Amino acid sequence: MSDLIWLHEDGLRADHPVFAAAGVNNSAVFIWDDAYLQQMDYGFKRLVFIYETLVELPLTILRGDQFECLTRLAGEAGGRILAPATPNPRLQQTLERLRRGFEVEMVEDVAFAPLPQEVDLKRFFRYWNKARKVAMSPSSGSRTDSQ
Amino acid sequence: MNNLLCDFATRDALIDYVAELSPWLDDRQVSPVVGGAAAAMHRLDSIDPLAYGRTRNFLGGAVTGLSPFVRHAIVTLDQLRNLALRRCERPAQVEKFIQQLAWRDYWQRVYRRYPERIWSDVEPYKTGYSAEEYAVELPQDIAAGETGVACIDQFIAVLQQTGYLHNHARMYVAAYVVHWRRVSWQAGARWFLHHLIDGDPASNNLSWQWVASTFGNKPYIFNLENLRKYADAGINTTARDNAVLDASYEMLSERLFPRGTARQ
Repeated sequence: MSDLIWLHEDGLRADHPVFAAAGVNNSAVFIWDDAYLQQMDYGFKRLVFIYETLVELPLTILRGDQFECLTRLAGEAGGRILAPATPNPRLQQTLERLRRGFEVEMVEDVAFAPLPQEVDLKRFFRYWNKARKVAMSPSSGSRTDSQ
Repeated sequence: MNNLLCDFATRDALIDYVAELSPWLDDRQVSPVVGGAAAAMHRLDSIDPLAYGRTRNFLGGAVTGLSPFVRHAIVTLDQLRNLALRRCERPAQVEKFIQQLAWRDYWQRVYRRYPERIWSDVEPYKTGYSAEEYAVELPQDIAAGETGVACIDQFIAVLQQTGYLHNHARMYVAAYVVHWRRVSWQAGARWFLHHLIDGDPASNNLSWQWVASTFGNKPYIFNLENLRKYADAGINTTARDNAVLDASYEMLSERLFPRGTARQ
């Protein structure tokens, strides 16, 4: 049994908490998905930047459909699928589909300013009035918002 | 499903390989900004958060160029905040720097809570025009950087060649596209996301909405005097080559928003 870490474009860092959340037996992949990259409409400049980042990371780069690759790899590994939490609806959708067949965990990154989840977002300065104190202090290393 | 290469002797070899992996793209322009954690660490060393606070609005100011690395989580906001606090005597000295980090956190929170706001107007335009009066497609001369407004064409060239623009230049271009040309912010946002290596649906699109006034109290505009204050030496700020910008804010507001800028 081994956990599969899916490092997607919203978490391209070797010390992302997703690595610590995985079991000792784990493997990490990035899926180079032509259809996804075209949907995101990234230009060549971005693709090069992403690839330059990938080659420094402890992972395997695979080319194929994100869902199909992850289904196959997680099926072989027999463990959970872990991925950095992301607001990107396309990535979320893939993770939701995977949830039907696997145990899937989305792992939050280190928080900049842990705040109540219902913090006022109407305008930036309403948020800043609440966030300022904690944002201006060194981090606690917390990964999630306070409840 | 096949394994892709991870070892390259040179940057050019990697670039050629990525070109093979992206046959759908015609444009092969590469950014001078190199990706990866090593490049990010090198930039972190040279950050001066105090100078940033003083000069960030100037096109030649001490900005960090770290946004592409933050965009893909190569560097975290937490890491940058802690670094800024270590490099000052009093936290107040780096408040501007940390506040700019907070803008990214804010946009990400909006994206998570209201994902539909990324492509839909949060509020009506406050420009006297309805959303239907804005062009849906980006005009060809803007995409080509041939608008005839010298500074705008220079900024577009930098965008397309490097995939990076100073934030103030982004605001100038966005204001020109939305308010001088009456093009929908969505068309501009899509175009920026294609070219910017730090392009993020939240920061980019919601900033376009802020300029447009669909996520803010009034439209953002600028004039030649403002450009001259903040531009660096390489930017053409002559009145002759930027005629449509050469007016007072009152005159521009009357010209661009003849129906007034009150809430609709």
